[in-house]
Amino acid sequence: MNLASYRKKSPWILHYNAGGCNGCDIEILACLAPKYDIERFGMINTGNPKQSDILLVTGPVTKRSRERLVEIYAQMPEPKVVISCGACASTGGVFRGMYNCEGGVDQFIPVDVYVCGCGTRPEQIIDGVVQALAILEKKTKELEESVKLKREAVKEGHQLNRRHIADEIKPVLS
Amino acid sequence: MGRQYEIPVGAQHISLLEPLHFKFTTENERIVRTDANVYYVHRGIEQACCSKFKFRQVSFVVGRVCGLCSISHTTAYSQVAEKLLKIEIPKRAKYLRMLVIELDRIHSHLLCLSHVAENSGFEALFMKTMQYREFSMELLEAVCGNRIQYDFSIVGGVARDLKPETGQLILQRLKNFMPQLEELVGIYQHNWTLSLKNKGTGVLTREDAMRLNVVGPFARAAGLAVDVRNETEDLLPWKEVGFEMITDTAGDVHARNMIRLREIGVSIRLIRNIIDGLPESALLTETKAFPDGEATVRLEAPRGELFYYAKGNKTQVLERLKIKAPTFSNVAGMVHAFTGNEYGSAAAIIASYDPCLSCTAR
Repeated sequence: MNLASYRKKSPWILHYNAGGCNGCDIEILACLAPKYDIERFGMINTGNPKQSDILLVTGPVTKRSRERLVEIYAQMPEPKVVISCGACASTGGVFRGMYNCEGGVDQFIPVDVYVCGCGTRPEQIIDGVVQALAILEKKTKELEESVKLKREAVKEGHQLNRRHIADEIKPVLS
Repeated sequence: MGRQYEIPVGAQHISLLEPLHFKFTTENERIVRTDANVYYVHRGIEQACCSKFKFRQVSFVVGRVCGLCSISHTTAYSQVAEKLLKIEIPKRAKYLRMLVIELDRIHSHLLCLSHVAENSGFEALFMKTMQYREFSMELLEAVCGNRIQYDFSIVGGVARDLKPETGQLILQRLKNFMPQLEELVGIYQHNWTLSLKNKGTGVLTREDAMRLNVVGPFARAAGLAVDVRNETEDLLPWKEVGFEMITDTAGDVHARNMIRLREIGVSIRLIRNIIDGLPESALLTETKAFPDGEATVRLEAPRGELFYYAKGNKTQVLERLKIKAPTFSNVAGMVHAFTGNEYGSAAAIIASYDPCLSCTAR
């Protein structure tokens, strides 16, 4: 077993509340609890963005938590998947248009899975997370393919240097 | 005098459910000074309630102030709007409101207890408490139709009736829960490892609680008998269904745990009395009036006293709505009670305050 297979089997979750009402957050906590038990997919809640693969965002983005959200997203290593939990994280919901709210999460960071509902049910969160697992696998594959492309040797003999061409042209002109 | 270090906690942290920033100044691992920053989730709900939404819609908007105590917010707003409309709601609606508030208190207190256990490093107890908590979520779903964000109280009454079989289901589930509650009380009271983390940490004395104007279980654990259920009778008849005040004297994390567990016991008794004595009447008082004048309402949310002020001007839209959440009153006490504790126990102390910042920041 190499590192890639471990990552496939156990994606770690990072949770950030960008200004929501706590409702979706307690449902995420309920997902970790024995009744819904999200750990059977190998998932565990972690507090460190540098170790996590899936970012669960709840709440409409307030002006103050916007920078923290982007910062957390930037600190996560590739490949990463973002799930917006709940109506207000997806679109702004009831808070849309309030003076300190910016609207949905997707205005600031790319979102892969939208989970609807106010409040989101644990079953919906699990469904979204399982969808995110497939996306994570796809992203990992794409990332590895692009690395392989770079490693191919570049045939330098066929490439022409612009300065070289100019040198050749010069004597013809003079 | 050792060297002082500043340790930031938050805005995103594993032990925090929501963005909250504490800056601890520590000296030899002991906290000597704390700065709190709680307004990360300010959304501007009060302004939107006074401009964007009609007064009958506002009860659904203020439910979204906080997901944990949404029924307290909707009920408090409904009451303040009923005062402005000068209507009296049916008695069955009052009883059903009390029923859902008490069910909500059970789930909120159990969530807080499990969070304290997790932050104290007792993962197994977190799992156990969360497992036992699920019954209250199922009951809330059976009564209101949703696990969180119930939208049960509306202006003039309640939105749904309680069917007799749902009442029987509640009684049956409460009966099943009683031995589980006793088990939890046993663990939280007597577990030696948990007591090492919880006893004597985060102490707030009675004098400080009085001086810093602390409310809710935080104050009752310090020996201050403050509970709105004990003080007001006009809107919801708490004493009629057998409310009992619970206080402790120690004021530490352990005392707060025990206060919450004993309050769950009181809530269970209240729910039984409510279902046994549920009066038969209509659910809604219809009126075509518009809100006029000023009114205030106090209600005991799971975290303490919730205060609503509203002012109407005979139009569809309110002129002013003010929400004062319990955690807002508690911030001064929260910052004070950290002093002198080790940094390692800060996470458990934060969880034991049961802070609700989306209420505070609105």
